Amino acid sequence: MTARPASLRPAFLKPGFDQTRMRVIGAFAVALALHGLGTLLIPGYSAPFAIRAMLVLAALLAVASIGQTLVVILGGIDLSIPFIIGFANVVAAQLYGQGWNFALVCLLVAVMAIAIGMVNGALSRGLNIHPLIVTLGIGMIVQGLVLIWTRGFPTGSAPKAVSQFVSIGGTFGPLPVAGVIPALLVLTVLIVLVLERTPFGRRLYALGSNPGAAPYALIRPLWVWMVIFGASSFFAAVTGVLLLGFTGSAYGDVGQPYLFQTIAAVVVGGAALVGGRGSYVGTLAGALVLTEINTLLIGLGYQPATVQAAFGLVILLLVSLYGRERHFSTLV
Amino acid sequence: MSGSMTPALALSLRRYGFGLAILVVLLIANVVMNPARFHPAAWGTLLGMAAPLIGAALASAPVIMAGRGGIDISVGPAMGLVNAVVILLFVHGGIASPWLLWPVALLLGAGIGAINGFLATVVRIQPIVATLGTYLILTGLTLTILPAPLGPAPGWLRSLSGVWSFAPLGVIALCWWGLSRTPFLGQLMAVGSDDRAAYTAGVNVTGVRFLAYVIGGLLVGAAAMMLTALIGSADPKVGTNYTMIAIAAVALGGVSLAGGRGGLIGAAIGAIDIFLLQSLLTAFNVSTYVLQVAYGAVLVLAVVLMALQDRPTKRSHA
Repeated sequence: MTARPASLRPAFLKPGFDQTRMRVIGAFAVALALHGLGTLLIPGYSAPFAIRAMLVLAALLAVASIGQTLVVILGGIDLSIPFIIGFANVVAAQLYGQGWNFALVCLLVAVMAIAIGMVNGALSRGLNIHPLIVTLGIGMIVQGLVLIWTRGFPTGSAPKAVSQFVSIGGTFGPLPVAGVIPALLVLTVLIVLVLERTPFGRRLYALGSNPGAAPYALIRPLWVWMVIFGASSFFAAVTGVLLLGFTGSAYGDVGQPYLFQTIAAVVVGGAALVGGRGSYVGTLAGALVLTEINTLLIGLGYQPATVQAAFGLVILLLVSLYGRERHFSTLV
Repeated sequence: MSGSMTPALALSLRRYGFGLAILVVLLIANVVMNPARFHPAAWGTLLGMAAPLIGAALASAPVIMAGRGGIDISVGPAMGLVNAVVILLFVHGGIASPWLLWPVALLLGAGIGAINGFLATVVRIQPIVATLGTYLILTGLTLTILPAPLGPAPGWLRSLSGVWSFAPLGVIALCWWGLSRTPFLGQLMAVGSDDRAAYTAGVNVTGVRFLAYVIGGLLVGAAAMMLTALIGSADPKVGTNYTMIAIAAVALGGVSLAGGRGGLIGAAIGAIDIFLLQSLLTAFNVSTYVLQVAYGAVLVLAVVLMALQDRPTKRSHA
């Protein structure tokens, strides 16, 4: 059971990152084990419709977590993701509702999101301020501005194509899954290629593992930070538009659950928040684990409050099993 | 801490100067805009309104000062749980004595802090993840034991948000002053600025960090009592709001999120800044949306200005 995910993705994981690879394999194994447990305990847990629903939920979380993965590899953290998700969700719906061309709407939202992200990166790195504070402050400003603009009551919806793309009952050609699943797989391959096979990817890991030494290797930290935070906001905006299709109507707080879930997915996937370590394949596994836990607990009939508490407990258990940090004395 | 008074004073002015400057400006603006609310006779009530935020900021500070990514995002939900337990004990348990309720609140807070500290320093889970886990557990637990708001609070407790509001904060200040006479504070700062150097110098790094979480937990207990005093009841949803704003207050007060710099005075100044800003904007009668934009803008502006001021003496953050 543990060997399967490894043999699925040997090319993506370079030798030498053994510990990281173990964590990724561990996360996939946990997801599989949870699914097995759910199938045993709950009738219909492995029914095609249930699996399709879980895949779509996991895919939405995985898209939202792309940015968090990149930022965490860099040694930062992005708390503006839920606010950017809400921003994209509301602005796209509002403008599309006013009769704008949807492609133009998406372009505009993407450009604005990237600009916000680049401000996050520039302020954090350029002035050496902790990104936690910068992204929280910028996120609050963005959300407030959206609320002022819509007076708290956003209107509008997404075009049919977007709803179809993330619909639980959707199909993609001959595949019985929504279009977002194959799209995410293609995106994953692209992200892994960029991270593992391009100079930019290597610079990202180098900067994350040793920010002091990276400039001597001719890496421009400020530029990398701006690009990565811009990318993070971009993928958050994509999530916002996808969620608009998923829920059908605009809602400014739609991104709030993603604040902690993206961090949890990244960490369960084996990344270290101190930077320099992590992979997007791991985050995919993390997103699967979180979705399985949620579905399992709700399926067992627990109240939302209990589910939340159990969620916290499981995160702690998993991370203490395979996400422990080294003792600082080994760093002396 | 050591040496003559003048350099120490200059250092703390440099550290807190920015937060203090904002405080003075905001205080003057508030007094001009809203003389009745800021009349000396109303200072007790005013401090009582600011007290929960000040307490939450104080509770967030020690762990951040201990460095290596130390942060406690469970502060808000922990306040919520203590708030719920205290009122449940009073309303359903019939326990009204401050000699019982205060120890319960402080011990519960310290216990949560000890769990966080154990997870972060012994199990060695990254602090933001460890306290995220307890954040979720505490939020769920609070909603389970107290699904809906419940009141009232005992009379003596409610008076703590009025004329007696300075008392809990005064006791905290005294205790912190006492703590600063012991080697602990120096060790905390040493661990926060360079744990490897502290370790080679023989400091019990794990122990110091663990203690920082427990002290933060004790302060959470006190903050929860001040919150209970202010709202005069228990509300399962009120606590969670405090986490992020407390961390913002700590940053505003000149406590470095990288650890090793700042102190409880700074955290308190930052919290008062945020409270005064809230109260000023409310006096202008702006909508909560504008309030939120102003919050974010002041936070970003403050940390940017602080960073610009720190620039000449900036250390590379390796």
